[in-house]
Amino acid sequence: MMSVPKSPLVYAVSQIVANTAKPAGKAVLTKTENILVAPRQLALTSYAMSKLTPTGADQVSTSLCAPSQVRFAHTDVQVPDFSAYRRDSVKDNHASSQPSATGRKAFTYMVVGSGAVTAAYAAKTVVSEFVSSLSATADVLALAKIEIKLDDIPEGKNVTFKWRGKPLFVRHRTAEEIEAEQKVDINQLRHQEADADRVKDPEWLVLLGICTHLGCVPLANAGDYGGYYCPCHGSHYDASGRIRKGPAPLNMEVPEYSFPEEGLLVVG
Amino acid sequence: MTLLNKVYQAVFRRTSTFALAIVVGAFFFERAFDQGGQTLFEQMNRGKLYKDVKHRFQGAGEEEEE
Repeated sequence: MMSVPKSPLVYAVSQIVANTAKPAGKAVLTKTENILVAPRQLALTSYAMSKLTPTGADQVSTSLCAPSQVRFAHTDVQVPDFSAYRRDSVKDNHASSQPSATGRKAFTYMVVGSGAVTAAYAAKTVVSEFVSSLSATADVLALAKIEIKLDDIPEGKNVTFKWRGKPLFVRHRTAEEIEAEQKVDINQLRHQEADADRVKDPEWLVLLGICTHLGCVPLANAGDYGGYYCPCHGSHYDASGRIRKGPAPLNMEVPEYSFPEEGLLVVG
Repeated sequence: MTLLNKVYQAVFRRTSTFALAIVVGAFFFERAFDQGGQTLFEQMNRGKLYKDVKHRFQGAGEEEEE
């Protein structure tokens, strides 16, 4: 009558349709042996389900004389049991799920929220670590400042320190020098700066000891103005580090410095 | 379950309060996580850190200075 490719899958139901044509011959019942089919398995896993599901070229042929209808009877396919994955409050099919709805939602949101908190913390850490990696390293920062004990520098003396790879002049000026520098008429200067703008404490002159002409290191307490003299090309600076004579275009540079306490100078 | 309901109604229901709760939670979580990590590190390295052996060097250090 029909070919059944996978015997446990397909259940054929033959249907007799009213037909005006008279059958060519009498229907004869023939006795056949019972067909054995394999016992049906419970589809508890997706693999078992895939074995039970009809796939491929399942074909049923029919003829005029023997109309038949083949149905894939899916009504008997068992849904796998997911109760192990379901929440306790909705396991009972007959109970209303409404009373437990907010509790279940709250739990879900709590899981999502704690994940978001962790993600926010991780993102913040990544960003702050990256930004802090852009800042100067500790050894550079340690070299960036110099502390000088001013008690060791006698009056009228110029002491040279090394700071950020450059010579740093610290000059303990005498009262005469201070008075002389404060009296200078700035209109006569090449680079016009008042002495008061170049020192925080008139007694202490802090300078980068680099000639602004070609970068030599000037000699202290030398030159026509009693300040500094650059031996390379003959620039004369006064006791405030201002250019007075010679080729240099600018006054010697004054770095950032402060006196955090009495007798202590911090440059940088 | 009533506590969960209250939290849901107060915080999770609106996106604005949910986001605010995440930001505030991240602030406290950061503090707790960082301090917890620090404490764990110090416990696992007890006796090896500088602050544990500091007293051994402090007396000698002062003499060597100046």
